[in-house]
Amino acid sequence: MNSVERVKAAVAFQPPDRVPVIAQVFGHAAMLARVPLSDYIRDGELLARCQLQALQYYDYDAVFALMDVNVETEAAGSVLTYRSNQYPFVRSYALADGANPDNLSIPDPWQAGRMPELLKAARILRREVGDDVLVIGCVLGPMTLATQLLGIETTLYQAIDEPEQFARLLDFAVAVITRFGIAQIEAGAHLPIVFDPSASPEVIPASFYREWVLPRLEQIFTAFKQAGSAVNWLHTAGPVTPILPFYPQAGVELANIDFSVHPLDAMRTLPRTSLNGNIKSLSFIEATPEEIADEASRLLSLFADRGGFVLSSGCEIPPESKPENIAAMVFAARQDR
Amino acid sequence: MMDLLIKALLDGDQAQAIIQASKLREAGVGRRQIITDGVEAAMAQLDAKCTVEQFNLLEIMLCGRAATGVMKVLYPPSTPPPQTKGAVVIGALEGDVHDLGKNIFKMVLTAKGYRVVDRGKDCPVERLIDTAEQEAALAIGISGLITTVIPQVLQIKDKLVARGLGHIKVIAGGAALKQTLAQRLKVDFVAQNAFDGLHYLDQMRG
Repeated sequence: MNSVERVKAAVAFQPPDRVPVIAQVFGHAAMLARVPLSDYIRDGELLARCQLQALQYYDYDAVFALMDVNVETEAAGSVLTYRSNQYPFVRSYALADGANPDNLSIPDPWQAGRMPELLKAARILRREVGDDVLVIGCVLGPMTLATQLLGIETTLYQAIDEPEQFARLLDFAVAVITRFGIAQIEAGAHLPIVFDPSASPEVIPASFYREWVLPRLEQIFTAFKQAGSAVNWLHTAGPVTPILPFYPQAGVELANIDFSVHPLDAMRTLPRTSLNGNIKSLSFIEATPEEIADEASRLLSLFADRGGFVLSSGCEIPPESKPENIAAMVFAARQDR
Repeated sequence: MMDLLIKALLDGDQAQAIIQASKLREAGVGRRQIITDGVEAAMAQLDAKCTVEQFNLLEIMLCGRAATGVMKVLYPPSTPPPQTKGAVVIGALEGDVHDLGKNIFKMVLTAKGYRVVDRGKDCPVERLIDTAEQEAALAIGISGLITTVIPQVLQIKDKLVARGLGHIKVIAGGAALKQTLAQRLKVDFVAQNAFDGLHYLDQMRG
């Protein structure tokens, strides 16, 4: 099996030749190639080159056309601050000072901000790896994009104080996400991962998630599937156990679980949804390769009978991680046949 | 009437909380009692509800905002501030601009009687230490959502000790920092959430 076949088999609960391993290597690819992170996240060609080098180095099952969490908000009008070896951050939000989302236009992914560079990265990656390795793009989830357009505190207060305005904000976010995600698929990504950390139960209660986020995620995943997404993959950070029961309705086919979620709880809650995770991100910096290998083996054993599993970290592998730790995770999956 | 204030605070209803606090004042209830039996009681109930498994920032933000509104009514700028349990300096370290967790920690500590000096986000370590010295702080609270701040975290305690301020406790929190142990970060305590940090401070004060 090649990587795409392997991941698809795992997601469909069919036996893959081995458990797929996807290392969430984003900015780490720049570090590995000794390229400034601020260049990597602004230059699609460079990003693709670094991702391909990292693929060659680690030999895992997916590459990422993924920059940071500010691509959509910048394209919609937020102003960012860039620093050399850090991800950028929002200096002023597109919807600060009470601006109405109805007055913003949906960014054109082929024109706006860094979106065209991300599409370029997806196109190059797909051209280089074809259907052998999974090419994964990225969009924010609706809650996270809302908080990136307005600021997280303002957004949360708005949800309570001005629910109609908040609904318009979320709907605008859905329109941006859908258009950008479909463009990524058209450019060559097999799928865009939906990254929605602000929808974590650590931030909002599960009842809030069900009312505001779930119907919009369903809308997004339906659109992605219609556009040809290979797998609907959702990544929500933190202790997501209370919202896992909503995932099937949202159309999630692969659910990321962070280190704070017990895999057995996730398996019980989602018996027919494939899972990926959940090695602690920080351990890629501070643990030893032996410790990573042990944790990987533990996870592989836990999922051995059930299947429907992709070995990965619980969240992004930090840029400054030790390469030998990532290699240890990949090696563990390759040994486990 | 105190129950109504507590309910309004737990509902996160700032307007209602201010109405109830004003009614209590009109009925002759002292400011200190409103804080102890109303604001602090509400925070204690929220604390009991917010276990590590059931903790969400939105509910705490709403309760904190309502509590802040009540405090402003009880202690308008023209009146002397209430006596506090001591000063805590907080900040998000240089390179980290995520400050929601820090802001919530501030609300929780303020509502529980601490004086919080907030040095904002993207804050250099030296600035936090200078402020802690000036304010004779009990503790420094640092939040880190991203792992790249860890090298700064590792320096804080040593720098405090070098300046003869080793008695100032260092509390770390935030998504990146709470993945590890206090001794690995060279801090006194790693808080899993805002209330966890509060408990540590309360315990430390005895």
